[in-house]
Amino acid sequence: MGADGAASRPRAGVVKLASCDGCQLTLLDLEDELLPITERFELIEFPEATSRRSEGPFDVLLVEGSVSTAEQAEEIVRLRAQTRLLVTIGACAWSGGIQAMRNWADEPSWRASVYPTPDYISSLATSTPVAEHVRVDAELRGCPIDPGQLLELLTALRTGRRPQLPDEAVCLECKRRGTVCVLVARGAPCLGPVTQTGCGAICPAYARACYACFGPREQANVGSLHDWLAAERAPSDVDRLFAGFTAWSEPYREPAGRAGALARERALAREQTDA
Amino acid sequence: MHKTETRNFDIRQLTRVEGEGRLALEVRDGRVVKAQLEIFEAPRYFERLVVGRTPDEVIDIVSRICGICPVAYQMSAVHAFEDLFEVAIDPQVRALRRLFYCGEWIESHALHIYLLHAPDFLGYPSAIELAAEAPAVVERGLRLKRLGNRIVALLGGRAIHPVSVRVGGFSRAPRPAELSEIRKALPAAIADAAETVRWATSLPTPASDRRPRLVALQSPDEYPMNHGRIVSSDGLDLRVSDWRDAFHEEQVPWSNALQARAADGTPYLVGPVARLALNRERLHPLAAEELTATGLGDELWTNVFRSIVGRSVELLHALAEAADLIDAYRPPEVPAIHWLPRPGVAAWATEAPRGLLFHRYVVGEDGLIEDAQIVPPTSQNQAAIEHDLVDFAPSVVDLPRAEAAVRIEQLIRSYDPCISCATHFLDLSVEDR
Amino acid sequence: MVSITPTPLQLLRRGDLAILIGLLRDDGYTVIGPTVRESAIVLDEIRSLADLPAGWTDEQAPGTYRLVPNGTDRLFDYTVGPASPKRFTLPPRVPLATARRGADGTASFEPASPQTPRLAFLGLRACEIAAIQVQDRVLEEGPFVDADYRARRDGSLIIAVQCTRAGATCFCGSMGTGPEVTSGHDLVLTEVGDGFLVASGSPEGTRLLDRLPLAAASEAVVADAAQAVVATRRATQGQVAVTGLRDRLLDQLDSTKWAEIADRCLACTNCTMVCPTCFCTSVSLASDLDGRETVMTRQWDSCFSAGFAKVAGGNFRPRRQDRYRQWLTHKFATWHDQFGTSGCVGCGRCITWCPVGIDVRQELAAIAPPYAPEVVPVAPVAASPDAYSVGTIRATNRETADTVTLAIAPGEERFLATEPGQFVMVELPAFPPLPISVSRVADGALHLTIRSAGPATAALTTLQPGSQVGLRGPLGHGWPIERAVGRDLVIVCGGIGLAPLRPVVDAVLRDRARFGEVLVAFGARTPGDRLYSGEAESWRAGSIEVDQIVDRAGPEWTGQVGVVTQLLDRRDWHERSAVAFVCGPERMMQATVSALRTAGITRRHIFVSIERHMECGIGLCGHCQMGSVFICKDGPVFAVADLGDTFGREGI
Repeated sequence: MGADGAASRPRAGVVKLASCDGCQLTLLDLEDELLPITERFELIEFPEATSRRSEGPFDVLLVEGSVSTAEQAEEIVRLRAQTRLLVTIGACAWSGGIQAMRNWADEPSWRASVYPTPDYISSLATSTPVAEHVRVDAELRGCPIDPGQLLELLTALRTGRRPQLPDEAVCLECKRRGTVCVLVARGAPCLGPVTQTGCGAICPAYARACYACFGPREQANVGSLHDWLAAERAPSDVDRLFAGFTAWSEPYREPAGRAGALARERALAREQTDA
Repeated sequence: MHKTETRNFDIRQLTRVEGEGRLALEVRDGRVVKAQLEIFEAPRYFERLVVGRTPDEVIDIVSRICGICPVAYQMSAVHAFEDLFEVAIDPQVRALRRLFYCGEWIESHALHIYLLHAPDFLGYPSAIELAAEAPAVVERGLRLKRLGNRIVALLGGRAIHPVSVRVGGFSRAPRPAELSEIRKALPAAIADAAETVRWATSLPTPASDRRPRLVALQSPDEYPMNHGRIVSSDGLDLRVSDWRDAFHEEQVPWSNALQARAADGTPYLVGPVARLALNRERLHPLAAEELTATGLGDELWTNVFRSIVGRSVELLHALAEAADLIDAYRPPEVPAIHWLPRPGVAAWATEAPRGLLFHRYVVGEDGLIEDAQIVPPTSQNQAAIEHDLVDFAPSVVDLPRAEAAVRIEQLIRSYDPCISCATHFLDLSVEDR
Repeated sequence: MVSITPTPLQLLRRGDLAILIGLLRDDGYTVIGPTVRESAIVLDEIRSLADLPAGWTDEQAPGTYRLVPNGTDRLFDYTVGPASPKRFTLPPRVPLATARRGADGTASFEPASPQTPRLAFLGLRACEIAAIQVQDRVLEEGPFVDADYRARRDGSLIIAVQCTRAGATCFCGSMGTGPEVTSGHDLVLTEVGDGFLVASGSPEGTRLLDRLPLAAASEAVVADAAQAVVATRRATQGQVAVTGLRDRLLDQLDSTKWAEIADRCLACTNCTMVCPTCFCTSVSLASDLDGRETVMTRQWDSCFSAGFAKVAGGNFRPRRQDRYRQWLTHKFATWHDQFGTSGCVGCGRCITWCPVGIDVRQELAAIAPPYAPEVVPVAPVAASPDAYSVGTIRATNRETADTVTLAIAPGEERFLATEPGQFVMVELPAFPPLPISVSRVADGALHLTIRSAGPATAALTTLQPGSQVGLRGPLGHGWPIERAVGRDLVIVCGGIGLAPLRPVVDAVLRDRARFGEVLVAFGARTPGDRLYSGEAESWRAGSIEVDQIVDRAGPEWTGQVGVVTQLLDRRDWHERSAVAFVCGPERMMQATVSALRTAGITRRHIFVSIERHMECGIGLCGHCQMGSVFICKDGPVFAVADLGDTFGREGI
């Protein structure tokens, strides 16, 4: 029985691990739909927006952010046990985020370079996706997620249909929009052909290359695109394109790892010359 | 001798702020002797993530420090690089950047005023409950927020983590026709913002009195956003790139966030109140008028809870300036000019919605970043927040715990802390000794 | 289509094109034409002459498109850009209907009625018009018509431009679609120095011309323009071997080359998006939170996208190579079956706009190259049953208890041109003539392997060197050895069935490197009945696998016992390209075909040699018919796929 006494609404929560808040904010940015959403879902836990707290149980829990500390690794397990439908929102939760670049680095040395007293800081060596810790029922990709896709997910929860989250290349959306391909017509290093759509193909519409914030699509043929792009630029520059907001996801992980290793080598070399 | 008594507040996490933290108060003999903001937001090491990247890649990356104020991070970064590379951007691009920042101020301030802070003043756990009682009020806030987002999305491709900021300008400049829908919506929004100032002033507001050192940018002929000198209420005046001459970062054991302090180790305050105090004469006339009409006088900067009014005044200013900027806009010849990197130190500060945001990058011979320092506004406010809490806490520490926590949170929220930026925020525990 | 009497070409000055644009707009048309945007020439609404891309030329190559200024005021010195007319005739998003669902469970559907503008296309090339005509067939000429497409096409005007310059990715001439504009247009322009040569293509076009200020065009100008168009055609010809392309492509469904292309293909859908004939769409739904009102929109989709062939249980085209094969075979092969034309008009967009520069012209040549010319059988000697040529038996060899090979020196040299699989009619005076396959041609002699099954064959097997017989032939069509080049070859025979296949082995051994893995699988009743058993070693020495099985054997036999299909049980040609030649008793062939199909060879690639009662051997006596074919003149070798369901059917 819900608080309003009527047929109870699903108990919904929004929580955050290591992230920038942008994906949660996308929910608050559904300005026209926000109040109708709160009428249909009972927001029992959403620290950014409400002081109302709950430890669960949740019918649906939106999780933003990657697992980056030991506390978070425990917390997500506890939350999973309290949740019927766990939905990861955004690149951090789905793939570890840009901060996953530290997975190839020497985290203690990173900590030491940012914090004068690194021992005060507790952090894992890795930033990993939620799915590497608990079972995930659905995911919204993007950095940040797309408001339309969030709305579609909520609509799907209400109607019972499968959410329409097409696994297509960004190219499909570019061509529907009539955007001229920045890769072919300008030689921009666009990752659209291997990236999952969902954003509405914003970057090429704004005359710049896609940088894959929605992550690799099904059967992303990274090798072929890498070869093509490397014909006109240094292979290490091409590697770095994949070392972005979804670097840890397969199959971006391989070129991203090369970029991470190179950055580590160079940093070491610099430390040695400085020393 | 009093027996030591430990009182624990069981609030784990401060809500309606962005990020995760705790507050630990130590009470001795009835006096609060220590307030520690424990930041347990997980560090993401942005200052290392940008090493080895190009300047344009840095702009995309640092945006992710904060989902509420990505434009601010992009602006501080891009101006730092343009300063080092001696890139003179087109005046229309400069204007577009101000319009971009106006959009973010509008969105961020509206979010904070209506969704995060106002519920405190009216005793609601969130804007959702407020909306049930006063839907028109919340809808006004959402309308304003939406308009701010639309401005950012038009110029940047999307409202959160916009994509078009590049060294030298924008990857794409809007056509005047694309701005017309927004221009048409502005008069009503300006009216809504004026009403916001009045409404914020009328909210039941707790008393407080403190006089922090205020720090902000100051510009001779505009309300400060991307350009100006760093000035303070006690006479500091330096170039933005010289921030480190007057301030430094310290680490404290209880916080994942570094705290910035003045060179002499004392706290200072950045943000809308600081900006207003130091730039009042350059407010847009419409905003200046409403500010005067509040009748608040000095209370605006001495009562921390009045920051909601200060934020509302800036909201109105940003909307009014957006209208002027759109009216004067002509597309630049090219949206971004060509540039070449140079090795050296790129340092700059701009005014994020929450206050001064300082970036410093060391660019190597190969045009890639070798080192970075990013000082968000909230970490510059942290010491001041703790200082104010020590002053404020005695007035509430004897109240029922739940109510004390609400009052303390309301105080902290007056600073509009952005925790993911400063990798922090708040859980409350009080220890009586 | 009203036929228009050709009128002498007239000249419209370049600046006066503005008048045409004005007339069209005044008449209520939305003029769609080329304009520069975002570093390319796209199609968009044209409001004035200034919107047209004066002085621009495009340089296109696989995966690359650049606009360069050419320093002239010419308006059409480029070919085609990423957008095609389908952007306006089959728009990327078209609202279909709104579906409503009441709280009481009722449903209602309200069709959308999108505004369809009256379109006047300015500057379409021949390939684009050909593409429109292709889409007309797809969307309007089937049993169901796309109403929105029809509404946009009805009353649309086309002002075409003939290309006087070919781009590097253009191949309209190869596909027979251009550059000459011959139909589907209302006006056609050819750009010359001072403006445009214009001609009408329809009554509407003529009416427009009447409203334009035209001058006479000089012969020299007309001749130059014609020459430029012809030169453009020549530059676009010869890039795709179109004849028989459909069949060749469908032959290659099992080619290993699809996987090679898939290594490079990104399955990004760009080729299908820019293709002016691709028409696949899907429906997307946008609902309110409660699903009470749903707007249904038709949007462009592509066979390359992951969900295109997905159903609840799985995906019918899970791999990139499956999708590339679907696209290429649809575009160039099955489109013919569906719509009577090729799906490709040679515009080259898929080549330019592929992000990794896959060139469909090269891929077609690699996957479905033209076959080496089929060997044309030599005209038979003494074809008619009233004349026989005399051959003399030079040697005999007893192969098995009941089988003898006669080596016959023919009376005429032409017999020595017998192809593997062909047969001769053999007439021993006083006996009925018999069709016998030639089992080898060597040293000036035809080898005929004959099993004694009745009095006539018995008599032949007892002939001694020096005896003579009458011969007519060579007759029939033999084994298509060229189809096995570059592939695995599987030879399966039973008993005497090895005889017509031995010449295939001889041919393979003469040029072993041209073939993949070669297997001879044969079965006999007993070890003693194995033909040519002495040659098996030399075949093995020539890298041919020889696998034998017998129905029954005594203790001295250490080999396999059973039926020949057992030799195929553990074989798998699913991931390989293979061709099979099968000969033996009909039931054996039927069982073998079944086993080969299970092992992954399709009926298009399995060939059988059929035996029937023959009298004349030249298709005039009617005896050897089987369903639609005459075994003697259409066979005796057939692809199983070509026999429909007559092969294996009782009583045919």
